[in-house]
Amino acid sequence: MSLKFDKIRVLETGYNQASWNMALDEALLNKMDDTPVLRLYGWRPPAVSIGYFQNMDQEVNVDRCKHCGIDVVRRMTGGGAVFHDSELTYSFLTKKYPQSIIESYELICDAIIIAINKLGFVSKFSPLNDITINGRKVSGNAQTRKKNTLLQHGTILLNANIDEMFSVLKVPSEKLRDKMITDVKQRITVLDKTFDEVAAALKAGFSEKFDARLVMDKLGEEEEADTKNLVREKYATHQWNWKR
Amino acid sequence: MKEVNNTYKSQKLIKIFLKYDEANNTIHSIAITGDFFIHPEERIDKLEADLAGARLDRDSIINVIEKSLSGSEIFGFNSQSMADAILGCLNK
Repeated sequence: MSLKFDKIRVLETGYNQASWNMALDEALLNKMDDTPVLRLYGWRPPAVSIGYFQNMDQEVNVDRCKHCGIDVVRRMTGGGAVFHDSELTYSFLTKKYPQSIIESYELICDAIIIAINKLGFVSKFSPLNDITINGRKVSGNAQTRKKNTLLQHGTILLNANIDEMFSVLKVPSEKLRDKMITDVKQRITVLDKTFDEVAAALKAGFSEKFDARLVMDKLGEEEEADTKNLVREKYATHQWNWKR
Repeated sequence: MKEVNNTYKSQKLIKIFLKYDEANNTIHSIAITGDFFIHPEERIDKLEADLAGARLDRDSIINVIEKSLSGSEIFGFNSQSMADAILGCLNK
């Protein structure tokens, strides 16, 4: 599947709190025009995001997160709980996309695969929503469609602290903890590259995949204000984060 | 009223919290959580609402799920596996 864009607006929004990161995605989605947006970002402090359909207390050791200064937030997308620490996160928003959900995942993941391969790896799409290197997951992705806009966001692992991850994510039983840590260590892989190296590769990957020129941009005042409102009214609230 | 829960592994994980009326064998209320995908996402609220009052038998539950989620796209479960997840609560 191929799709061309004249240009892609690129936002490098740095490291931010979880509620701000998720609020900005929604603020961008709410005011999208015809130019797709590629946003690259990180999480400070580290954070756990849960999928739209998950229950915070079932998935996350919230007391441990509070103790360690780790943010928690509910995403507007489905999927599982993610510990955001040593990774690059991207969001891609577009009004032009395949209606088939699998096709649209594959299309956008292709840009990421091009990027990862530019860094010297051989990665591939692993349906529905993962990218793997030698069968081990390096990138997980999730999407939603609202207001005729597709939002896909996902992570690319730069490094991984699995032990810390399992200290903040709940496991079915303590007896299984060690086995789960071993399993996850075998099922994932990391790029061991810097944020900037992966960001540069991603920009090149999206430009190549969509035959688009990149327009580096900054958030507008209205986007900043919308984001602040969404933090206050939604993503930093107990009502949203403990919604299910 | 009896309260039970169940965790069920389909293609994705489904977690059910069920309140049901033993005398009438019907669902009083249900919360469905997990790492699955439903597009549009808000249809989960309709599914939970539609299941309230449904009889706790496989055919009735599948029928409600299929009607309720008609037109939406689902990844990680289907109507059969969701019914199994719900009915699995009764074995707990």
